[in-house]
Amino acid sequence: MKRWLWLVLLAPAAQACELPGGPAEKLQSAAHTILYRAAPALRAGEHFVLEIAVCPAPDGLRVDAWMPDHRHGMNYRPSLEALGGGRYRAEGLLFHMPGRWEFLFELRAGGATERFAHAVRVE
Amino acid sequence: MRRPLVLLLAALAPAVLAFTEAEQRAIAAHGPWPPAFAPDPSNRASGDKGAVELGERLFFERRLSANGEHSCSRCHVPERNWTDGEARALGLQRVERNTPGLNNVRLQRWFGWDGANDSLWAQSIRPLLDARELGLSAAQVAALVRGDADLACRYRKVFGSVPAADEDVLVGVGKALAAFQETLVSGRTAFDEFRDALVKGNAAGAAKYPEAAKRGLKIFVGKGSCNVCHLGPAFTNGEFHDTGIPFFIDKGRVDPGRHAGIQKLRASRFNLLGPYNDDPARSTATGTRHVALEHRNFGEFRTPSLRNLALTAPYMHNGRLATLRDVVNHYSTISPDRLHADGEAILKPLNLSDQESRDLVAFLETLQDGGGNYARGPVLQDCR
Repeated sequence: MKRWLWLVLLAPAAQACELPGGPAEKLQSAAHTILYRAAPALRAGEHFVLEIAVCPAPDGLRVDAWMPDHRHGMNYRPSLEALGGGRYRAEGLLFHMPGRWEFLFELRAGGATERFAHAVRVE
Repeated sequence: MRRPLVLLLAALAPAVLAFTEAEQRAIAAHGPWPPAFAPDPSNRASGDKGAVELGERLFFERRLSANGEHSCSRCHVPERNWTDGEARALGLQRVERNTPGLNNVRLQRWFGWDGANDSLWAQSIRPLLDARELGLSAAQVAALVRGDADLACRYRKVFGSVPAADEDVLVGVGKALAAFQETLVSGRTAFDEFRDALVKGNAAGAAKYPEAAKRGLKIFVGKGSCNVCHLGPAFTNGEFHDTGIPFFIDKGRVDPGRHAGIQKLRASRFNLLGPYNDDPARSTATGTRHVALEHRNFGEFRTPSLRNLALTAPYMHNGRLATLRDVVNHYSTISPDRLHADGEAILKPLNLSDQESRDLVAFLETLQDGGGNYARGPVLQDCR
């Protein structure tokens, strides 16, 4: 009986994390869910923005990216606009080479920092 | 239905199957060519026929120099793919860097070897004011435009009036020069024919491409990973790298490259965040707003396009390498210890055999359109 109760309590929270506008990548930990989408679609040498939803809303978010195989980051420092309710828009990103990149999301919540990494392949 | 497909694959075998699917995708990414024209929203004269004519006239105008003998075309020679054949350019004085070609210049995100400008019109102003290049002031440029009835008339037709402020006239001159340079686009090449044939599955078309060039192309997108930086239809990522070319100019002087370029960009009144951007939305200023200044930018220089490369010797930011073969040898034997790259691991020696080096050069030579795709317009009637 106890297990069912937990499932019922968790279900609404999971459903609440949405990023309207189309399919999104999903990263999850015990404490947070991150949904993000790049627009336009990732392509080497072109600026793009990230639409981001974090659930529950953190106290702060930092977004960056790097190319692990080459051990370098981007040539640009993205700006991040908090839209409220855990929604963010990051601008100014550009992957200047094709290959494997890793998005880095750093959440601050309740005095703690949580880091997420997500690898993407760029052509 | 199966038989025609099998026949098609068999017909394509010699040309297409030499490349893996990943290689074919990489090759396809270098086209199509030429790209469609898109006006520069930061320049209200972009794409304007009158501005192109004014810009062309100004480009070859020798009065646009302190000694009345030089013009943009002194270093950017049309017959040399808009370069000069010199290792380091010679304006009123010798400068530190090689003259870059101007074909396809409108496709760039950053301008100059150090990217100190973020628009073609701002970049066009820079040599006018540089004491070592054309050596003028804004007042001298404005006086030339105001004092020449034909130039003043053309300027008015493009911009509505000749402004009272000298700097405003200077910016208009930069924008007209940019409008002209935007028309300089290299033509189709043997590589483009091969690439399109590959994409369309046209075996006969693909078979015309020389075997040595195919082998070189395979190195370019494979073992060499050259397309990591020389990507897309223009064969450049538009960004900056340390390629192991010494950046000492002479004893005690270095060329800091991108590191100083970013600082100059930020300090410039002519950047896209400044008052002369004609686009209220600043839609092309994303890079300027977000570019990061890092220690590793020291000694980085812009990745050049490879189109018409064979016509632009000597090579690299300071013209240090005389031939394409020298460039290939440089990357074949590069020492990672010489790179000033803060732990980056991009360049490694390619260790190419003599045959592989020749093949890579053979491929690079197929990126050439043969030149001669620019003919200066007829002498224009005086503007009325």
